Amino acid sequence: MAITIRRHGPMRVVAGILTTGVLMTGLAACGGSTTPESSGVASAGTEGVDDGSALTLWTRAPLEKQAKLLVAAYNSSHKNQVELTVVPNDDYVAKVGAAAGSGSLPDLFAADIVYVPNWVKQGLFQDLTAQIDGLPYKDTINKGHLSAGTVDGKEHVLPFVLDLSMLFWNKDLFTKAGLDPEKAPATLDEFAKDAKAIQALNLPGTYGTATGLNCGGCLVFTWFPSLYADGEQPMNADGTVAQLDSATAQGIYKVWRDLWSSGAVLPSSKDEAGPTWTAGFTEGKVGLMFYPATLLSSTPFDAGVAGIPGIKGGASTFVGGDGLGISKDSKKAAQAWNFLQWMMSEDAQVGVLAKDSDVVSRSDLADNQYSTKDPRLVTINKVAGNGGTPVALNFQQAYNATGSPWLTLVRNAVLGDGSSIKQDNAEITKVLGQ
Amino acid sequence: MATATATPKPAVTTRRAALQKGSSLGGIALRMPFWVLSGAIAVVFLYPLIWTTVASVSPRAGTNQVDGWGFGNFVTLGHYQAGIWQYLLNSTLVCVMSVGMTLAVSVLGGYAFGRFSFPGKNLLFLVTLGILMVPYATLLIPLYVLLSKVGLQNSLFGVALVLTMFQLPFSTFMMRISFESVPRELDEAAMVDGCTSFGALRRVLLPAVRPGLITVGLFAFLAAWNDFMAPLILINDSNRMTLPLAIANLRVQVQGVVDYGATEAGVVVLALPCVVLFLILQRHYVRGFMSGAFKG
Amino acid sequence: MTMTVGRPRRLSRTRRMSRTQTHAVLGWAYAAPTALFVLILFVLPLLLVTRMSASDWPLLSGDHGINLPKNFTNAVGDRFFGPAVAFTLKYTVLATVLLIVLGLGLALLVQESTRWKGALRVAFLLPSALGLASASLLFYVIYSPIAGPFASVAQRWGFSFLGSPNAALWSTLFLIVWRFAGFYMLLMLVGLQAIPDEVYEAARIDGASRLQTFRDITLPLLRPTLALSTVLCVTGSLLAFEQFYILTKGGPDNSTITVVQLIYSFAFQGRNDLGLAGALSVIVLVALVVINVFQMRALRTGGDS
Repeated sequence: MAITIRRHGPMRVVAGILTTGVLMTGLAACGGSTTPESSGVASAGTEGVDDGSALTLWTRAPLEKQAKLLVAAYNSSHKNQVELTVVPNDDYVAKVGAAAGSGSLPDLFAADIVYVPNWVKQGLFQDLTAQIDGLPYKDTINKGHLSAGTVDGKEHVLPFVLDLSMLFWNKDLFTKAGLDPEKAPATLDEFAKDAKAIQALNLPGTYGTATGLNCGGCLVFTWFPSLYADGEQPMNADGTVAQLDSATAQGIYKVWRDLWSSGAVLPSSKDEAGPTWTAGFTEGKVGLMFYPATLLSSTPFDAGVAGIPGIKGGASTFVGGDGLGISKDSKKAAQAWNFLQWMMSEDAQVGVLAKDSDVVSRSDLADNQYSTKDPRLVTINKVAGNGGTPVALNFQQAYNATGSPWLTLVRNAVLGDGSSIKQDNAEITKVLGQ
Repeated sequence: MATATATPKPAVTTRRAALQKGSSLGGIALRMPFWVLSGAIAVVFLYPLIWTTVASVSPRAGTNQVDGWGFGNFVTLGHYQAGIWQYLLNSTLVCVMSVGMTLAVSVLGGYAFGRFSFPGKNLLFLVTLGILMVPYATLLIPLYVLLSKVGLQNSLFGVALVLTMFQLPFSTFMMRISFESVPRELDEAAMVDGCTSFGALRRVLLPAVRPGLITVGLFAFLAAWNDFMAPLILINDSNRMTLPLAIANLRVQVQGVVDYGATEAGVVVLALPCVVLFLILQRHYVRGFMSGAFKG
Repeated sequence: MTMTVGRPRRLSRTRRMSRTQTHAVLGWAYAAPTALFVLILFVLPLLLVTRMSASDWPLLSGDHGINLPKNFTNAVGDRFFGPAVAFTLKYTVLATVLLIVLGLGLALLVQESTRWKGALRVAFLLPSALGLASASLLFYVIYSPIAGPFASVAQRWGFSFLGSPNAALWSTLFLIVWRFAGFYMLLMLVGLQAIPDEVYEAARIDGASRLQTFRDITLPLLRPTLALSTVLCVTGSLLAFEQFYILTKGGPDNSTITVVQLIYSFAFQGRNDLGLAGALSVIVLVALVVINVFQMRALRTGGDS
């Protein structure tokens, strides 16, 4: 072993030296070019090309289940073959960044919908406007996802997997607390009242509700809907000014501060940075909480599902999940489009996603043979239509990143005395405008 | 400056002799607190390993082992994507290449630093040690760019090259002091007998630095087996991923939810070969440090 | 880490010239693989990092030309720069003191070779067979308020391992001590072994107490080992990343952000700015070189006296 390596190692290394000159000059260019030379999407037509090409697709680990099902169904019915690569969630940006810098992105790659505006602006995705506009059912495609991928009027991204936040409640605990197990709380105040009622049961290790107070992403995912439900937006339309100090927003923080101080919130929520924020509910130890709809099929007990209410009532959701687009480096854009348009078809939406109890991304398919079997799916699909997806270039840094100003705001407002909401909101605006 | 030739410890033997004098009944009673105390410390060190092993086969909600004891979590692991055997094979390949290259490079390098004087020697040695001073994550992006230029992106060999480089400060240092602690007369005698310098290295010195080799090899193996960042950035294909990467993928589910059972099983699978190899080699490993005379 | 380079030469002056030359050529030949690895896989990427640090270089869209010294001023001006430096230094001091003291303590505990002490050594060394990432994952589960073995106790007494800034720091330090104490024990054992027995003998005859022997003989003679261990430990701790990345993610309330974590977040979490990350890396590298030169000077002059 050692001998062969000694022979080959240096040879490759010499080759390395020879290319070094090329490298140092080539580096300057490697980031800039965004125009693919090849069979562009323009030539693809509405159907794309299915000629037995090998395509590559990257996604993050949390969406693996859906991605695998979609890819398997596509591969078995098409000549093109998609090869799927799953990347750990926390390291997805690093991975995409390294590949983008050296022009080696895969043909198709998914992006967390809140990062999509930024990534589109950086030129990572190809323009798909003509193709998307050519889809007869374009108007039924989830608006939030579509608009996140639209920059300067050009569309780049289609919804890959929708991940919605919904109000889930444990029917068993509701019954024990003397609440109606079939009726969801209609307002945020009722939500708090129900949580306290379950807390009052004093069951060991059981709490009214739970959240992730050290997890910017969880808080965006579960608290923004209360704003949407009351007809408000967390930011202005450009995503440059935060409006998280409005009267409604302050009302939301007040409900949570009151819940926290009353002891009805799972204590570990205080430091919950994300990894276990849903675990308490899954284990049946939390009465009701705002919870990802993708976990519906893996919730082991009877749970009720409804949209997330606001202070004044209403019901909304955060339309999260991932968008999928064709990368700037793809030389098989026409073939990649074939996958994308298939993904939006009824075959894929109903035959693959709905069958797996996932949310469909076309409103005209919300009522389908699978959702009629579980009315909760109809609820979810319906709420998805009037949910919101925030669009901002610096979303990650302002909200999701560890140590984001949004986390500072929430922690001060809920765990602290709530006196610095104005300043904290201004700090978010500052980061958004960077 | 003691370039000591690692003579076995006289101090140890005499002190041990003194100890054995006290092995009367009273002596044992006197030693009881020591046994209890040192045993307690050992338990602290062993507890986390034992707990994880037990927990990985015990039941827990939200994992693949909900009722009773069993290997459900390992089944999750086994069927993940390309399957655990593929990942084990990839990890093994990376380890073999990385250990091989680390040994080859550091033996030659250690020999050069320990036995020869040449211009630029100190500079080269210092720059090699300098690898320790640069944050790992920072170098990976340039390395990625570099390896893709020579067609080694997405290749296990590329990963092994990078891992070997990161292993060089320790292994070069270790081999240098190993060679320096071998009496010079040994290879000079071989040269007088007509050996070339390479012949002397192969026939006389290599056996003499064996403990050092084992230590360097073991370190290189542990580093390559456990490394996560290099394969993460450098490998694109699911079926070329290494074990730590697969386990990291497996750990976090939808919306950042952690599958604790799979995590525990993953830690066990990752740790097991390391612990076994370590136990087999620990005697040589400790001797490698000792004979290296790490005294400066 | 002081090494003898030259060797006494017994050869005659005339033969020595040519001998030295072949010596040098041979030396380079053997050092060539090391040199190639270092040059291509380390120096070259390092140059690229330096160039990034001087350029406007977003992660996702590549080089946009030189913008010196904007990255450096922005990196130093970042709101987490000061806290990260302060926390890294605090962590480094604590980790170094703990590891050196505990390493030495464990070494003294298991110094003689009896069967029991041999077993103890193995027990102390075993955690060092795990990678730092696996070890961090392991403790991540152990510290977990959901799945950890102390979850119910923690809940009853109302504490959490990673909940407050201090708890998070000490929990991480415990992990580091668990993982590395055995390694430092080994270094100390080697150092202790090098102290000649006669010195102890002489001290005993002089009637020195155990404490006096330790203070006046063991510690001074162990100085080179202590120096090496300190340099290793300080360098390693200043570059701490994985343990915090996995265990605390910099929380709670941004209290445990280390400098390397800041580099990582500049590059990959939020800003996605390689220029900024490169600038901070260069700052760290320069600081480490200065610290290490300073340390070695201080420790070497001390050792020679």
